Amino acid sequence: MRYRIRHTTKYAYDDPVAVCHNLVRLAPRTSARQTVNSYRLVVSPDAMLIGERTDLFGNRVQYFSIDESHHGLSLTAISEVGVEPSSEPQAKSLTWESVRAQIHSAAAPLPLAACRFAYASPHVPLNDKVREYAAPSFTPGRSILEAAKDFTARLHNDFDYDPRATTVSTPISVALEQRAGVCQDFAHVQIAGLRAMGLAARYVSGYLRTLPPPGKERLVGADASHAWLSVYVGDGAWVDLDPTNNCVPGTDHVTVAIGRDYGDVCPIQGVFVGGGSHTMSVSVDVAPLTAKPTTTP
Amino acid sequence: MPSQAQTNSQAMAGLPETVEQQLLSTYVPPAGAYDELYDAQRVARAPWLALLEQVERLGGAEVERRWTQSQRLIRENGIAYNAFGDADARPRPWALDPVPLLIAEAEWRGISAGLTQRAKLLELVLQDLYGPQELLRSGLLPPALVYGHPGYRIALHQTDRLPTAAPMLQYYAADLGRAPDGKWWVLADRTEAPSGVGFALENRVVTSRMLPEAFRDSQVQRLAPFFQQLQTMLRNHAPTHRHNPSIAILSQGVGHPNYFEDAYLARYLGCLLVESGDLTVRDHKVWMKTLDGLMPIDVLLRRPNSELCDPLELRGDGISGVAGLLQAERAGAVLLANRCGSGLVESPVFMAFIPRLCQALLGEPLKLPGVASWWCGEAVSLDFVLANLDRLVLKKAYRSRGEESLLVHQLQLLSREQLIELIRAAPHTFVAQEQVNRSSAPAYRNERIEPTHIALRAFAVSSSGGYSVMPGALARTTSDFGPLEASTLSGEGSKDVWIVGDEPVKAVTLLSTEQEPLELVRIGAQLPSRVADDSFWLGRHLERANAAARLVRLVATRLTSEGELSDFPELRALVRGLVEQGQIEPGYAVEPLRTLLPQVEEALPSQVLDTHRAGSLAFTIGRLYSAASQVRDRLSRDTWRIVLGINEKLLAIDSDRANLADLLNLTDELIVDLAAVGGMVVESMTRTQFYRFLDIGRRVECASQSVDLLKTCLIDCRDSSRPLLEAMLESADSLMTYRSRYRASVRLAAVLDLLVTDETNPRSIAFQIDTLERHVRKLPRTGDGATAASDREQRIALSLKHAMQMIDIVPLSDAYELGQPEPLAKLLAGIAHDLPVLASAVSLKYLAHSGLPQQLSPS
Repeated sequence: MRYRIRHTTKYAYDDPVAVCHNLVRLAPRTSARQTVNSYRLVVSPDAMLIGERTDLFGNRVQYFSIDESHHGLSLTAISEVGVEPSSEPQAKSLTWESVRAQIHSAAAPLPLAACRFAYASPHVPLNDKVREYAAPSFTPGRSILEAAKDFTARLHNDFDYDPRATTVSTPISVALEQRAGVCQDFAHVQIAGLRAMGLAARYVSGYLRTLPPPGKERLVGADASHAWLSVYVGDGAWVDLDPTNNCVPGTDHVTVAIGRDYGDVCPIQGVFVGGGSHTMSVSVDVAPLTAKPTTTP
Repeated sequence: MPSQAQTNSQAMAGLPETVEQQLLSTYVPPAGAYDELYDAQRVARAPWLALLEQVERLGGAEVERRWTQSQRLIRENGIAYNAFGDADARPRPWALDPVPLLIAEAEWRGISAGLTQRAKLLELVLQDLYGPQELLRSGLLPPALVYGHPGYRIALHQTDRLPTAAPMLQYYAADLGRAPDGKWWVLADRTEAPSGVGFALENRVVTSRMLPEAFRDSQVQRLAPFFQQLQTMLRNHAPTHRHNPSIAILSQGVGHPNYFEDAYLARYLGCLLVESGDLTVRDHKVWMKTLDGLMPIDVLLRRPNSELCDPLELRGDGISGVAGLLQAERAGAVLLANRCGSGLVESPVFMAFIPRLCQALLGEPLKLPGVASWWCGEAVSLDFVLANLDRLVLKKAYRSRGEESLLVHQLQLLSREQLIELIRAAPHTFVAQEQVNRSSAPAYRNERIEPTHIALRAFAVSSSGGYSVMPGALARTTSDFGPLEASTLSGEGSKDVWIVGDEPVKAVTLLSTEQEPLELVRIGAQLPSRVADDSFWLGRHLERANAAARLVRLVATRLTSEGELSDFPELRALVRGLVEQGQIEPGYAVEPLRTLLPQVEEALPSQVLDTHRAGSLAFTIGRLYSAASQVRDRLSRDTWRIVLGINEKLLAIDSDRANLADLLNLTDELIVDLAAVGGMVVESMTRTQFYRFLDIGRRVECASQSVDLLKTCLIDCRDSSRPLLEAMLESADSLMTYRSRYRASVRLAAVLDLLVTDETNPRSIAFQIDTLERHVRKLPRTGDGATAASDREQRIALSLKHAMQMIDIVPLSDAYELGQPEPLAKLLAGIAHDLPVLASAVSLKYLAHSGLPQQLSPS
């Protein structure tokens, strides 16, 4: 499946901004299942893109600053991405206990790529509450994939998708308490549960196709950037899970960045001087590309 | 109890009372600890002999006399923890103990080798943890140690590290303690941005000045070469390899307890002192914002914790730091010493792994042992810790600099069972350490020598061959040997540490020409806008304090004189002047003279000395002191001494008990002191922009104060009586000038001429405005061909100057005396209006801060 993705973020300031510095993680990732044919970032007012690097988790990070006085800032990331179906389900999957043993083994070499995602992180504190919530899915000897999917399904049923319930800075304890939140909260809660069980889970940010294929329902979270998670299933393999939609992401999900939690993948970070207060608006369009070019909005 | 040493020295010196009897008789080292001075037989150890001999020769009285002098030196040097902070709080002087700690050079070599090894090891650990993380992959360090560490930031991870990159750890310190068996142990590592080296240097200055003979005879290793190495390190690592790189100390500013040390080091090393607000990142280079534009910075000696250095990527508190600094560091455009992230390994948790790491990374055992530590995150260690809880010290496993790692207070409140429960709930957050019964050493207290417990903070700087350790240290003294508080500033006291050599040492100072001559960075030309703002306010507070002191003196003189109060009708206007300055209650402005004066007599001292009354003399002096503190590093030492003295005079006086005579004394002294500050500024300050802004502040304030007083007396009180005119002349320090010109005849026109329009009188309003106009003309111009007249502040200054030149004072005063004060009122009101407009135009253009940075709302 191929998509053209257009992600626009606009900031409007009350007072002029003298200078701003920004970090951007908007470039889709390349992986075994995902190819990036093109990507570009358009910034207005004109800024020199002066830095680009790859962070610890392999995300592309761009850095720019604007030194001239401005009243607004607009960033548009445009990319063309191809996504292959996932090879899931894996026929034989390890028990969750053996995956846990891999991560916390004392024998070198450790699966460092997984260990990184096994501990509490700034947005994902671990505690007994979240462990208790996760535990029923992890019965002895259960396969990691079955247990994790069961957890995803439970979370999906227990939690209401409610954008008014939380904000971007609401701690997950509140989301867990209220049993409500948005995709970010769903992902954080499941990540916390998995880590509390001794497993490794990482936060995935990305997009959903905006309009569903004919005859299918529109996915929740399609009008903005989306978030789900990925669980370590042992032997170097990860499987994505989307608790907001209770599914294993396939060709409808496009991955942008991975990290320990939202803080590591935040699409746009910025610091500015001046400006007074400001407002932000986001629009995302994920349009399928067919062999014959279609009209895109 | 007579000892061998005592009998020996008695015999040698042949004095009736030896120094041991006089000073050391009270010195009884505590049992169970190593004593630095005496061995078990109470015989002085070899390094101390020369010192003891010299002290004996000097005698107790001379020691006491010198110590008194030294304490004054400490005070005048402004060595105090909060001397730069809260103006209200009495600064706490640096608690230095005059008896140095003496360590033999041979012994120090061992310590030095141990610290060098440790610094190398920590550097390798940092390189790995922010790089390939082989230590984690191989299981040498548990991943939880890094990923569970709240100070770990993935932004600091170097995914594409250049092989030529500078070390992470250029500057390292360790806390050491000596165990009862005489061996030194590392108690803690300091890798973030170690404090204390400035205090060590100052301790050396004071102690060696107090005991120069002993210092010479003991053949003490000099500290200067170490600072030279520090300087060389900073210069050599300058990324651009410019011939004369700009090196700055990135300070956390005046309010921070480390500020004294930052300012002290900046002066000693000859580098700039900046705060993050002074810096900006453009085109991934770091620049300092100055009045003349942006000036590149190549090297920053970093004082804030890593997470407070870049609000964009590290977001310690959202606003602190320089946005883009990490990007500039990654791009290799600036060197941070230490590099961001270096603090990771100073957490106590690493202490538990150091022996293993040393073997694995360096292939050798530790040369200097660290205090035994157990991380509760390992099952075996946890069991051990729980079984031995009573004899271990429990600490937080993860700690960032400035944070207390000891859990003393929490732990005292918990029962053993609660404590075990606490540890079990999150074992990986605890470390337990063995307690070291630290050694004792002599300290001088109340003319006696008494034992104190000591710990050392030793320093190392990276050099071409690895690390160089400072031959000397900061000794911290505590009354017992319990665990040290984290901060060097919270210790009870400190000492100089003398590394006693076997042969005479060559003297080296920082300005030595042994190597290539130092190129001094010319600071004068580049003035950060923030400093210009501070100097402007220093100027204003200086003149405000002067005006306040003079008016108080005028009133106090009259109230204390022998004459009847009714002999002084001018008092009404003068008291009203005090009200206008905000020195006393506004109610006094409306009271009739007869009821007014007894009250004023009583209320004046307590009100003008009230530090909380905005406008009072005490308040203004407080502001002056804090303004001077802000630019302390740009004032000459003598200027600062006077300011310090002024502040101390104010602090010494009890506002509730002071009477009018006290007030008169105080203002007499203050007026002289303030004049001295003004004189020092004129005499000793180079005519840089700093001076210009300071003088602009002074002129604006001086003119405003004169206008206000003239308006109060002549317009509001409608009083132009001879006594009042004389008082006004006196308040402007122009009475003598007037008398030499006009003898005894006091006429309004002549007074006004002298106080307002006479450009040759340095206290006249015309003189102030004339000077202002010349300063404003010389301010840096923005834009290329901008003509002078197109700048707003210049237009205002010029028009004020012209207005002053057009004044014809005789008709104005004639009209006033004929009962028409309006023309004079209009003139004064016009100046009173234009002065603040001018000040704010200058301020807006050159001094206004652009405000604090904000975070974009998360997308």
